[in-house]
Amino acid sequence: MKTIKGIPKNIDESIVGRITKKPLRRFSRRNSILITNSLQDKFNKYPAVISNDNYSESYLKRNKSVPLCHSVAEIDYLNDGDIVLIENNGNINVLYEKESSTNALMLTEKCNCDCIMCPQERKTKEENRAPLNLKIISLMDKSTKHLGLTGGEPTLIGNDLLKIIKACKKAIPTAQIDILTNGIRLCDFDFVKKIVLLQHPNLIFAIPLYADTDNEHDHIIKARGFHKTVQGIYNLALFNQRIEIRVVLHKLTYQRLPKLAEFIYHNFPFVFHITFMGMETRCLAEKNIEELWIDPHDYMSELKDAVIYLNQRLMNVSIYNLQLCVMPEELWPFSAKAISGWKNIYLDDCSSCDFKADCGGFFEPSEDRHSSYLSPIKKRLDKPFQECY
Amino acid sequence: MSKYQLLPFRFQKFDSEQMLIVNEVGEFFFIPLKDFADLVSNNLDVKKSIFLDLKSKHFTTDTEIEPVIKMLATKYRTKKSFLYNFTSLHMVVPTLRCNSKCIYCQVSSKKTDDMKYDMNEATAKRVVDMIFCSPSLSVKIEFQGGEPLLNFKIVKYIIEYAEKCNSRHHKQLEFVICSNLTLINDEMLHYLKDHNVYISTSLDGPKFLHDKNRPLKTGLGNYDTVVENIYKVRQHLGEKSVSALMTTTKESLEYVQAIIDNYITLGFDSLFLRSLNPYGFAKRDWSEIGYNIENFINFYKEALNHIIDVNLRGTFFVENYTTLLLTRILTPFSTGFVDLQSPAGVVISGVIYDFNGNVYVADEGRMLSYEGDYTFLMGNVHQNSYNELFHSDNVVLLLKKSCLECLPRCSHCVYQSYCGADPVRNYAEQGDIIGNRMSSSSCKKNMSMIRHLFEIIRENQRDKMDVFWSWITRRPLIEKSKC
Repeated sequence: MKTIKGIPKNIDESIVGRITKKPLRRFSRRNSILITNSLQDKFNKYPAVISNDNYSESYLKRNKSVPLCHSVAEIDYLNDGDIVLIENNGNINVLYEKESSTNALMLTEKCNCDCIMCPQERKTKEENRAPLNLKIISLMDKSTKHLGLTGGEPTLIGNDLLKIIKACKKAIPTAQIDILTNGIRLCDFDFVKKIVLLQHPNLIFAIPLYADTDNEHDHIIKARGFHKTVQGIYNLALFNQRIEIRVVLHKLTYQRLPKLAEFIYHNFPFVFHITFMGMETRCLAEKNIEELWIDPHDYMSELKDAVIYLNQRLMNVSIYNLQLCVMPEELWPFSAKAISGWKNIYLDDCSSCDFKADCGGFFEPSEDRHSSYLSPIKKRLDKPFQECY
Repeated sequence: MSKYQLLPFRFQKFDSEQMLIVNEVGEFFFIPLKDFADLVSNNLDVKKSIFLDLKSKHFTTDTEIEPVIKMLATKYRTKKSFLYNFTSLHMVVPTLRCNSKCIYCQVSSKKTDDMKYDMNEATAKRVVDMIFCSPSLSVKIEFQGGEPLLNFKIVKYIIEYAEKCNSRHHKQLEFVICSNLTLINDEMLHYLKDHNVYISTSLDGPKFLHDKNRPLKTGLGNYDTVVENIYKVRQHLGEKSVSALMTTTKESLEYVQAIIDNYITLGFDSLFLRSLNPYGFAKRDWSEIGYNIENFINFYKEALNHIIDVNLRGTFFVENYTTLLLTRILTPFSTGFVDLQSPAGVVISGVIYDFNGNVYVADEGRMLSYEGDYTFLMGNVHQNSYNELFHSDNVVLLLKKSCLECLPRCSHCVYQSYCGADPVRNYAEQGDIIGNRMSSSSCKKNMSMIRHLFEIIRENQRDKMDVFWSWITRRPLIEKSKC
């Protein structure tokens, strides 16, 4: 989540609203936060105002208690339709970007796994996030094409998850909703049935699977989950739900990737998508880096076997979060850009690469930790990249 | 205390170094003999990667058993999913008359003017009514013969009445005419186009071979007419609207490459290599046109080699029987082919309605009836109800005796998951629907073919496997892209 700094005035508690750059009529202002260059106006009824201008006493005279976040340097990052949460310390958290295709809602920070490479902060206690999330969904642009529901583990909020999915169906009816779940709670047939009965037309369940055998998978998630996840996948399949299997690439998973591909094909040939994902080296992943790190260059042979195996069998397979220059060209057609806009970076060297626009890029922390085989690629006339597709 | 639990599998020594093991759902593994000995004596180290390989394919488990059985059960249901829908292939004989006099004719076809072997409208109507009693969501009506085009009137009647019935049933309805393609004319072609009918014809190879095997009753050859009409059908009904079957006679054995190349020249992208079946004239004249199954297996191996080469040189061309076997070996899915099922595909996958309304469990069952043996007669559409026909004690008994899982020798055969029971063939050859595998030629044929495929699979050469997968997925090998 992108956070922008500003200086708070009149902000007692967090404020959520939709960004508008165009001033609105008084009675349309209820959920809109105005962005303005100049504070020389009246802003009654806006839940808050954001400005790059400096605060002056005259604002108070005109606007009394209208909450304000001023002196915001990065104000251009915000656009009409974005949804922000302004904290009382002046931090502006961008919860949703209208033009982004990688928006996600954090449904809970709790999790029933403790994955060795988890890139998320975790909390064991938190207040119920559902009211906030429901509000955010209600403010989203109706034309939103894509939304991720993430955590923690989203299924842990139980009935609230049903409410969230229902709200999505109403507020953003054409959006594809990706539920990023470990699938463990989906082994409860009745729970899956409840989700399915909501009849959301465009749900995808993105479920991680790290090994083809129980002990090895469970070692990574630090829980007894393998067989429950398998049952969860079967339950979803019984209802013809779309399932994506996600495999994170690191030292503990790479050796058996071809076997895992075989396992997926023979046990879950009905899945709609399989993604192999470069590791994000944050939080626990950073803490356990010695146990986890392998230069992506060194697992390419296994990755290639797995990807080619699945593609040959008409399975839809992608590679996320890896850079074209560490991949053999045979894998380029499978590479997709999937890192959220605000997290996605490129290195200085990348500026001279002819394929930067097609490249999956890096997670921010990879600035320090990345393959040592990176190098800008030059277009060769005899091998136009497009031909690969 | 045992470290791990074995789950059901079958095994056979593949050569002096490796054991082939295959589980109930057709997943296989080549295991070194030493490791196999360790595996079965509970001495295999669970830390070894080979143990994980076996565990991953559910040959064994060192942790939980119940969820693994559940996974196997799920895969088993997928493999046996041909059972869900019951009969989808309904073959109909509009007439026994035929203008061809093929040397191996299995149905003892009748003279072209012998009208008493035509199906009449009353029978055709009952047949279609019966077909629509089938619970299957997809129904394929295949016209067999004789030569169906000799009674095109009743073909049209059946197509139109079936379409009418289907406006209520909404099944996925498909029509195929098995024709020698000598009699097709523009009027018929327009009709077939309007009703989305596919053509399956017979082509035995180059002109000299085809005309020797499949002369007309007039004594003349028909190769040139057939070829001309194949092009005509494609022009009217589309490029993929006509496929061809090839029957191997003693004469064919010497012309492997010529037969295949001829198919390719004529623009086909697949063929079905069929060995000669001992029914009708083929049975009568076996000493002249038949051969030992070993000869056919050599023929098959040579053909397969050549076809793989053709594909690697850039022409997409599929051998259909191999593709069926490969699909059974390499994928988790089931196939619909009648001869490779357990329980047998008879009745479950397909039935045949003769011109007089008699219903047989399989085309070969009908063939036997022309020799006076009505063992496989289910009844008649005029005298029996759907239930009497399809759920009779005879049918149930026949199916009970055609589960490989409990047939002698098949029950422990390493290739069981890939093979099928053929009770009619057993009966025709050995006088017993269970049959004796030791002397069964179809057992020998399938075992040899499957073993041959496993030899190629074990070599695991990327280009050959790419060809195999292009057949299974029907996705032509794209020219090895340069990127």
